[in-house]
Amino acid sequence: MGRLAIWAGCIGVAGLALATPAPLTAEPYSWPIPAWMPPPPVPADNPMTTQKVDLGRHLFYDARLSADGTVACVSCHVQDRAFTDGREVPVGINGTFGIRNAPGLANAGYVPMLTWANPHMTSLEFQALMPLFGDNPDEMGNNGQEAALFARLAADPYYATAFPDAFPDRPAPDLFTVTRALAAFQRSLISVDSPYDRFKYWGDKDALSDAAKRGEQLFFDHRFECYHCHSGIHFTENLQTSRSAFAETGFHNTGLYNIDGAGAYPANNTGLMELTGDPADMGKFRTPSLRNVALTAPYFHDGSAATLDEVLDHYRQGGRSIATGPHAGHGATSPLRDGMIVGNSATKAEIADIIAFLESLTDTGFLTNPAYADPWPADHPAVADRVLP
Amino acid sequence: MKYIAFAAALAATPAMADQAVSINFAAQIAGKPFSCTETYMGLGAKGTAVKGIDYRLFVSGAALIRADGTAQPIALDQDGKWQLDDLALLDFEDGTGGCATGTAEINTTLRGTVPEGDYVGLGFALAVPFDKNHGDPTLAPAPLNTTAMFWNWQGGYRFVRIDMVPVDKAADGPKGWFLHLGSTQCPAASKTEAPTAPCKNPNHLPVTFAAFDPATNVVVIDPAAVVADADLTVNAPETSPGCMSFPGDADCVSVMGKLGQAYGDLPAGPQQLVTMR
Repeated sequence: MGRLAIWAGCIGVAGLALATPAPLTAEPYSWPIPAWMPPPPVPADNPMTTQKVDLGRHLFYDARLSADGTVACVSCHVQDRAFTDGREVPVGINGTFGIRNAPGLANAGYVPMLTWANPHMTSLEFQALMPLFGDNPDEMGNNGQEAALFARLAADPYYATAFPDAFPDRPAPDLFTVTRALAAFQRSLISVDSPYDRFKYWGDKDALSDAAKRGEQLFFDHRFECYHCHSGIHFTENLQTSRSAFAETGFHNTGLYNIDGAGAYPANNTGLMELTGDPADMGKFRTPSLRNVALTAPYFHDGSAATLDEVLDHYRQGGRSIATGPHAGHGATSPLRDGMIVGNSATKAEIADIIAFLESLTDTGFLTNPAYADPWPADHPAVADRVLP
Repeated sequence: MKYIAFAAALAATPAMADQAVSINFAAQIAGKPFSCTETYMGLGAKGTAVKGIDYRLFVSGAALIRADGTAQPIALDQDGKWQLDDLALLDFEDGTGGCATGTAEINTTLRGTVPEGDYVGLGFALAVPFDKNHGDPTLAPAPLNTTAMFWNWQGGYRFVRIDMVPVDKAADGPKGWFLHLGSTQCPAASKTEAPTAPCKNPNHLPVTFAAFDPATNVVVIDPAAVVADADLTVNAPETSPGCMSFPGDADCVSVMGKLGQAYGDLPAGPQQLVTMR
């Protein structure tokens, strides 16, 4: 009961977060967060409303967002996998493989730079253009086809009222409204109710197993240094909230590759260097959040670790060794490896405890929250040809 | 060069009379006019037969040049569609044939005015100016809202998009050999703030013709010389299909210099994409 009361109290916080007055018809959006938690920042041109979030949810699950009606956002971001797809790399239109692992969307609104390593991706609104219109690789295949895309959406009876409800001043599907609605829905995807949250923030000492409690102590221990990067409320140093004075970001080379002895990563996955051109940025990728991490395998930017055991073994060795093939090399000897990746002497029992702790970050309410679920009937044209992972 | 005076129309103002100017562009592949349905023979190091599936360019900063070498910027007609400030999108594909990402509309000229005067030459750049290249494309006016020219991963637009597909492309091979020119490595660029530093590789392609008469001359675009030493049948592993300006792509090594760009340790050569006739 105490929790419910506090959650209800957060409606007031949401009201303050709206930078611009919402239209009279708009219902103020109520953040699904406890009162102690600040909501994510909201761009001035995209205030949260219940209508817009609901429109965004319909768009998120609508495969008509792709040129051939097969790929929806959910085709790579599935709720019960914490909005990942279980694959090393996602698959877009015409069976086109992506280049980097589909990131989970829990708490995406708190992430100041989206995707794995791109300083240009500073808002969910802007990021939505990539899957919609990107062609290297193709994801939803709409490059150059925006008129057809918006016509498909405008023809649907639901959207005929949902767009005007969400955007009274700009009531049609277009580059602005579609990206704003998708961003509003993603901003609503908040996961802060795992057993660890109940243990840590709500005082429920029985919420964690003994193994998870031991794992917590190891996770926050200098022997393992996990928390130096996986820090804060979302277990990543990449964080912005509506109370942040500034956004915090963190990118690291963890020694996954060392192809040339000088720290090279595979040519199509050089991390932050691809965008900055700074050789020192080779192999630097954004620290991902660990919330729901037990469900988001495979791991790393290229999905190259199948299990948490593999991930922790990589950190135990202080870098990954690849014996043969085009990516062969010893990550532990990379001159570009982050100084925090020092290797450790974890025992099997300790690794099992850390994994128990990581599993306690699974928020089953988030995975089953009907507010995040597919709103379309199974026989609706929005989903008739939709492919799921 | 002929001059069309509008002095009568502007008699009410003391301003210097303007003359209309139109610069015509022709898109070709290997000397043949571009068409979405045509096959072009003998491209690249292997003499590959290709189809062209997209062909668009951004032109900016166009100016007529006086005999004394000074430049007179062309004031482009603000048509709300192709031309914005001193920027224009040229679009040579009509959405037919293999141009699946295209549209029916085409635009092959720059249209504007210059003060009445004597002009002998033409200058322009294939580029989106820095101050327009990093805005929010969902709010941008036409033509900067054309998704076909979006290059959001790089935080900007493609300046040149010439997409070619070998006729005998392997089913499991790269989707084509695509020539994209744009700025890369713009570290501070973001949606909401202008970059604080110029891009490391702006990749603007400036063009000057000392003698150019808009009434009789045409600007000719043709990628054949640019890709002459590239093998269009292959794609370097773990790189974009063709050459998309990205550093470290073996497919770009013989190409970027011929677009007038330095590339890695390689110096810029004379650009070979744009000529006139």
